[in-house]
Amino acid sequence: MAFPTALRPTSRGYSPGDYPVKTYNANNGAEVRILYGSAPFNMTMDLSYDNITDAQADEFLTHYYQMQGTFQTFEIPSTASTFAGWTGGANSLNRASSGAVWRYSEPPQQQTVRPGISSVSVRLVGVLS
Amino acid sequence: MAKFYTGRDGRLLIDGTEQIKVSNWTLTGSLEVLETTTLGESQRAYTPGVQEFNGSATLLYYKDDAGRNDAATALKKVLRVSGVSSSDTVTMRLRLVDGNTNSDVQLTAYITSVTFGASVGEVSSAQISFQGTGALTAVTI
Repeated sequence: MAFPTALRPTSRGYSPGDYPVKTYNANNGAEVRILYGSAPFNMTMDLSYDNITDAQADEFLTHYYQMQGTFQTFEIPSTASTFAGWTGGANSLNRASSGAVWRYSEPPQQQTVRPGISSVSVRLVGVLS
Repeated sequence: MAKFYTGRDGRLLIDGTEQIKVSNWTLTGSLEVLETTTLGESQRAYTPGVQEFNGSATLLYYKDDAGRNDAATALKKVLRVSGVSSSDTVTMRLRLVDGNTNSDVQLTAYITSVTFGASVGEVSSAQISFQGTGALTAVTI
């Protein structure tokens, strides 16, 4: 089962991470930075899905179990509804073209709102494969 | 036959007993909605949540020849020495009459507030508010 990419989130927060940079500081205060790679990593994406059906909420829990929690990685296409509402660059929120994939940063949080209706929040982190 | 309903047609029954000297009643029903608007949508969307029913009534503080005082009975649902338990519900039936036809809404409710007083030159009355618990038990409006 793939990540539920057909569901549009209620809200989405994204942080682009950083490039692999090592910083050295000399005794006189000068700073030297060395770039060790050409792609960013540790991107974070916080997704919330409010007032969805329990069946839809279960898709996140099922996928999390299939990914063995934070262990396995997965891809989310840039065309997925996960990125709905974003009118900026197609690859700005999803660095798959740079070899980045997603994994769960922590377990999804599910909250029952009323019988049959749940809210789910998901936190993903982008890593280089 | 066409008809305008007025206060003359109103009745209030509490626990199956038609109340004497009721000057008004109101019932409000509401539905909580849960927003399901998602990114990319231009209009808000909702899914139904929980319903709620509450209302109020005014009963004149009147004692008939047999000693029956409906307003006092309603007041004692709140104004009492002992506490109120979960079993202290009342069955409220709000009715509009058209000949032999009744248009009713019935619900189980707690009387949540009572206001009662006396003023010079005015008839004493008791205003009660009630909160429905659970679903409506009859709707024939």
